[in-house]
Amino acid sequence: MKRLALNATAVAVLVTTVFPVYWMFLTAFKPTRDIQAATPTFWPADPTLDHFVTAVNAPGFWTYWRNSLLVTVAAVLIALVVALLAAFAMTRMRWRGRSAFVVAVFAAQMAPWEALLVPVFIIARDTDLLDSLAMLTGVYFMVTLPFTIVTLRGFLAAIPPELEEAAQVDGCSRLVAFRRVVFPLLAPGLMATSLFGFITAWNEFAFVNVLIIKDQDKRTLPVWLSSFRDVFGTDWGATMAAASLFALPALLLFLFLQRRVGTGMTAGAVKG
Amino acid sequence: MKYRILALAAVLALSACGTGAEPETGAAASGAPAKLTVWIMDGSVTKELLKKFETEHEAAHKGVDLDIQIQAWDGIGERVTAALASTDAPDVIEVGNTQVAQYSASGGVTDLTAKVADLKGEDWLPGLAQPGKIDGKQYGVPWYAANRVVVYNKDLFAEAGIKEPPKTRDEWLEITTKLNKGGNQGIYLTGQTWYALAGFVWDEGGDLAVQEGGRWKGALDTPQALAGMDFYQRLQALGKGPKDADEANPPQHEVFAQGTVAQIIAVPGVAARVLEVDGKLKDKMGFFPIPGKTADKPGTVFTGGSDLIIPVASQHQDEAYELVKALAGEEFQKELATTMSFVPNRTSLAGVLSGDEGTAAMAVGAAGGRATPNTPNWAAVEATSVIKQYMTAVLTGADPAAEAKKVSESITTTLNSGS
Amino acid sequence: MRAGRRSFWPFLLIAPTVAGGAFLLIYPMLKAAVISFQHFRMGELIRGGATFIGLENYAELLGGEEFWQVVWRTVVWTVVNVVLIVVLSTGVALMLVRLRRGLRLAVMSALALAWATPVIAATTIFQWLFQSELGVVNWLLVTLGFDSFQGYTWFADGTATFAVLVILVVWQSVPFAALTLYAGLTTIPAELYESARIDGGSGGQVFWKITVPMLRQLFALIVSLEVIWVAKCFPQIWVLSQGGPDDATTTLPVYAFKVARVLHRYDLGSAVAMLTVVILAVALVSNLRRMVRS
Repeated sequence: MKRLALNATAVAVLVTTVFPVYWMFLTAFKPTRDIQAATPTFWPADPTLDHFVTAVNAPGFWTYWRNSLLVTVAAVLIALVVALLAAFAMTRMRWRGRSAFVVAVFAAQMAPWEALLVPVFIIARDTDLLDSLAMLTGVYFMVTLPFTIVTLRGFLAAIPPELEEAAQVDGCSRLVAFRRVVFPLLAPGLMATSLFGFITAWNEFAFVNVLIIKDQDKRTLPVWLSSFRDVFGTDWGATMAAASLFALPALLLFLFLQRRVGTGMTAGAVKG
Repeated sequence: MKYRILALAAVLALSACGTGAEPETGAAASGAPAKLTVWIMDGSVTKELLKKFETEHEAAHKGVDLDIQIQAWDGIGERVTAALASTDAPDVIEVGNTQVAQYSASGGVTDLTAKVADLKGEDWLPGLAQPGKIDGKQYGVPWYAANRVVVYNKDLFAEAGIKEPPKTRDEWLEITTKLNKGGNQGIYLTGQTWYALAGFVWDEGGDLAVQEGGRWKGALDTPQALAGMDFYQRLQALGKGPKDADEANPPQHEVFAQGTVAQIIAVPGVAARVLEVDGKLKDKMGFFPIPGKTADKPGTVFTGGSDLIIPVASQHQDEAYELVKALAGEEFQKELATTMSFVPNRTSLAGVLSGDEGTAAMAVGAAGGRATPNTPNWAAVEATSVIKQYMTAVLTGADPAAEAKKVSESITTTLNSGS
Repeated sequence: MRAGRRSFWPFLLIAPTVAGGAFLLIYPMLKAAVISFQHFRMGELIRGGATFIGLENYAELLGGEEFWQVVWRTVVWTVVNVVLIVVLSTGVALMLVRLRRGLRLAVMSALALAWATPVIAATTIFQWLFQSELGVVNWLLVTLGFDSFQGYTWFADGTATFAVLVILVVWQSVPFAALTLYAGLTTIPAELYESARIDGGSGGQVFWKITVPMLRQLFALIVSLEVIWVAKCFPQIWVLSQGGPDDATTTLPVYAFKVARVLHRYDLGSAVAMLTVVILAVALVSNLRRMVRS
């Protein structure tokens, strides 16, 4: 009886969690007449790709898709490397100012990014970095960096330093010891963290609007999605198809990393 | 893991190519022409006309390559500001006549006072020229004007047995009720069409805001303004226009093109866009001026329109000026006016419109045209959407008097906040 | 390696972080701080030449009613969301521990899926779910017998919009917190629970006497992260309601953005941002202190 109630709750949680995402894909595949039916259907009786065709044919889709992917992947990779170095120094070494650095990294998460639009714009203008994907990449790198460091630090702290010490005793250099012993243990953490960074950077739209001005071919997908919604407003099929295409890379990455993420996402924070 | 992500990226990029992605074309190779970037607002001009202009202008000006970018309204204020503040701005920007004052005052727009005679500015429409002029200097160049009329579906009018367009508001409500039958909507009026509300408020003798001893004061809470809102509410109920959206969401010409909507309030140029969506309404669209309270006086309307500006930060000032001159010149103005049913930027060109039903209706209304309160801060009131929110609140059942008081206070604060 | 030998290595390792932070975070922050003491509006952004006006922007903010309303709204927004997130995710985590493997993996995957949905996609979905005429939520409510929801316009009413945003943010935030707490729960030795049960403790007692103290650090971390994320939450609100209707969903970051980008009061917007950072720092000072100690 108790088990039944527990399982029922679990199913309820499962359904409410998945439903919005399911509804997005379902709407995207439904013919318009089903979307506008007074009684909604909960299964794609008559799936169609029309809405996806509309979305993909909207001006700029592929260009923006590629820009987003480029900027996001670059920002995430740079952030991972930089964060790994910092996290190593934070967990494996003692130095003056370490605790101040920890606090600074934590506090950096409080940065009011929306209010830094104008200063960042001025900096980009004065260094001739307007209309440049490099500047966008830099900003996204910085937006994701603090959280990446905090999580990686947690993961590293969870790995006993004795493991590396033992390897070093066996004659490995410190770098080799790190690569052979620590890196494999850290892999789930790196993946979970990269997913987080990916989602954050993939979403950003406020900076694109002020940093990319004249060269429209350098805009990114969130901007495309918002102007798409302007134009297609209540064509919910097309809008959901566009949203699906927008969500797809993150969801694919999630499927790709899923096994590791399940345990990885959390282990770091536990020790955090 | 790095390689895996790269591999994933590669796979995604490949699949992108596989389904027919076209890489965007780079700058033209030979001769390195001056590439002029032009921002035209979404909905101003049809794509064909822009294409035609582009071809002709490039042919007439060797070494000029036009890049005409259509701008969405959403977030346009931010983008224009960023452009004016940048070091390599678009060369010509279309800005609304309610917005041009604040940009002109900012110092980021090229002063064209010396060129007014060359542009034949002596008979520019004052509603476009004045907002573009700050402290005696002309920054904005008038481009076109338009005001709203009622666009109707002739078939649906005939079906309902309506022979003649209404002359007064009461008649208007009466015929719209008749039209609002079966699957058809009497009028498709979204809840946030605020310039239509402005017209009704002006008809009642009210205003959006008034100036009292150097200070601005929101005036939507006056009895006159409330009467205007009341009429809006009664009219809006005679169709299925969403109460929480404006006419751009979804674009009302697309709704009208489906053929089940009897009337919309729009500029006559919307007809061209309706036909772009669906040709079945060809020759089925009629126009009449927005009715007033009495038959002898048509409804007061909001005069909308656009000016062209050249940012100081444009790298091609001379080419940009030539472009503005062409866009604001007689030849293109005539073409623009006839294709889009706009009022041309000079009164002496108005003759080209005679014989067009839509613009005839527009001209009747234009006689009583009004503008939004003349202050650079008005743009901020529009940007904060407070009037739209007020309308939605009233239409969904909130107390009009209390809501009007709130929105008026908010307008008062914004208009007096300095710039 | 644990020897306290002085070395340049640690500083070399943090150098990229410090360099990135200096150029892209600290420098813009300082610039924003400077702007908050200036007369800096559209003209100054375009022409340059801003003048210092001391504390006038702060005086305007702190002396006006609106700012305090926004602060109060932000506090309510943060508290409601964080409480819901923590309570729900604790419940989900406790449930996960008790589930059989198959169902547990299914629920965990579902949570991770919701977590991985990009904010703007999620926001668009919620607009569609709560759409007035064709939205599935209104249909469901009417089907369940709440007839007043026929065609109900959620986004026209302040409280309703606020509620939809809370549901959205909670839906997006619970997965991270729940999975983290679940991982924490699995580290508590089973013997502790057994001995507690032998001593005759009820479920509630066990939770408060063992689970909560064991996971105190983890709870503290989650609460402070969620406070930061929720208080700073911007894209959801901006895309869904732009702070409306009637400012009912204008929290501090939305307010700062509106003041700066819409009214072109960059000076006032920067002042709002500076005050936001101060308020957040004060709210989290005890946590920061604990981090220094650890």
